[in-house]
Amino acid sequence: MIKITLLEIKNLSKYYPKNDKLAVKVLSDIKFSVNKGECFVIIGPNGSGKTTLLRILGLLEQPTAGKIIFNDKDLTHLSRKDIVQYRRKFSFVRQKPVVRNTTVFKNIAYGLKVRGMKPEDYIATVKETIKFVGLEGFENENARSLSGGEIQRVAIAMNFVINPDIYLLDEVSANLDPMNVKLLEEFILKIKQDKTKTIIMSTHDPLEAIKYADRIAVLNNGQITQIGSPNEIFTTPKDEFTALFVGYENIFHGIASIDKSTGLNLIKINNLTITASSQIEGEVKVCLRPESIGVVKDPPKNTSYRNTFKGIIENIRDLGNICHLIVRCNSEKFLITITQLSRRNLGLSINSEVFINFKATDVKLL
Amino acid sequence: MSNDIIDGIIEAFSLMFTFDQEIWGVIFVSFRVSLMSTFLATIVALPIGSFIGLREFRGKKGVSNLINTFMGFPPVVMGLIVFLLLSRSGPFGSLGLLYSTTAMILAQFLLAVPIITGTTKAAIESIDPSIKETVLSLGANERQLWWELIKDSKKSIIAGFLVAFGQAISEVGAVMIVGGNIRWDTRTFTTSIVLQTRMGEFGMAIALGVILISISFIVNYGLTRLQARGD
Repeated sequence: MIKITLLEIKNLSKYYPKNDKLAVKVLSDIKFSVNKGECFVIIGPNGSGKTTLLRILGLLEQPTAGKIIFNDKDLTHLSRKDIVQYRRKFSFVRQKPVVRNTTVFKNIAYGLKVRGMKPEDYIATVKETIKFVGLEGFENENARSLSGGEIQRVAIAMNFVINPDIYLLDEVSANLDPMNVKLLEEFILKIKQDKTKTIIMSTHDPLEAIKYADRIAVLNNGQITQIGSPNEIFTTPKDEFTALFVGYENIFHGIASIDKSTGLNLIKINNLTITASSQIEGEVKVCLRPESIGVVKDPPKNTSYRNTFKGIIENIRDLGNICHLIVRCNSEKFLITITQLSRRNLGLSINSEVFINFKATDVKLL
Repeated sequence: MSNDIIDGIIEAFSLMFTFDQEIWGVIFVSFRVSLMSTFLATIVALPIGSFIGLREFRGKKGVSNLINTFMGFPPVVMGLIVFLLLSRSGPFGSLGLLYSTTAMILAQFLLAVPIITGTTKAAIESIDPSIKETVLSLGANERQLWWELIKDSKKSIIAGFLVAFGQAISEVGAVMIVGGNIRWDTRTFTTSIVLQTRMGEFGMAIALGVILISISFIVNYGLTRLQARGD
């Protein structure tokens, strides 16, 4: 797939004035670009500046410095008229959505109405979207009388119906009940299916980032500390903050297909094949907790583990009672947590040859 | 003296229930002038108030202070200003508007504009900013956003209208100065009460007073009902 840069963020900064002279730095020198059709996830703890960044991208706030280039146009210095035109290319789903004081139908239709569409042209689309978010029968209720979860659904529908080029999703899954999380997942996957749509989302949940991201940016204290594929971020975090924040998991990209004769799900990760018990097929992300992997010196015999690979220890990190091993098996690197005791018993050191094994049931597919 | 009061009250009720022509004439003038001035003031003040409430611009604080000052502008002084403007030797003297209902409407209009501007501005500013942002992010232009916010603050705007109307109908100084209290023409509730009291015609004065208080009560009741409504 050819990568086309859709959005380029150049040296973006945002300061809020405080006590006249002192300024609070919310974002400083943010640089990244987003490709067309990509799902770009910004992860970071609360207060790291995620919302401000998305608000600036959604043209709801002016940056103090920097540029946002979209189709060769700088979006930070637009006339009032142009701002509306460019804002219409984005949709912005808020963490705490609000709705207008009118019916569910009118709320969902609003984005189309302000674009000058006539009711006869949008009624069908709106009805279809209402069905998609499961709000049939609520069309004529006042949206403000609904529950929080239902309001979130209205918000999803409002933004889905306008069919923007770029979806900005600000911590949308925070505070959602499981049913709405599932709806949200369907919504995001539906957007991702359409390869012309781009998603920029923020989250403080690393697992959510893995689930959706093509690339991840780590935002800490208003600065982007690392940008990379989920695999890169989770396996080779650049700094301690990232490592701690992401929980340092094993994540791989693979293609899963169920073997008809054995019923086992085989996932090809470059030239490594992993067996999983999960029945998801196709393009998957493979997650494995560092503590689910066992290490032995000699090739195991009669093991119940479906997955056994030979590898070489590339690195060892001491963490008190436990330690992290980085083991390379073929093309892939695994992070493994073992106790210092078993490390001593096994006599492991850098460049030792070992066998790693893990159960098919411990392999999580996303 | 106590006889005056009792006789006055008896006469007042008989006047009210016999539908005395003069009373109805006065009521008609009062309503026409107050409604017209408040209505025109709303047309002018709504865009101004919402513009100030919506936009950020240099000198916004100064403008806001000015509006707040004018919200409590002394009506008599406004009457004086309009009188000077419309009097023969004034800049608009040639229009011959002095001592007409038009002059009264103008004076009350000028008093009502700051009140409605101020309440509209406050109403727009008090709307949750996330509503504003949601409407914008859904693609609304400034006019569409403006209309949304007006709809969202319609309660406060109606309240502002009622406050301005209540003040207009019970105001005496300005209408006296610029209207001249001409019988059958520019005589209102308030100017009539002043005159009748001076002349010792307490029955008429009390009757007008009762009606005026009733109107105030209805307006206030409407206001409370409006504010009590949940949405």
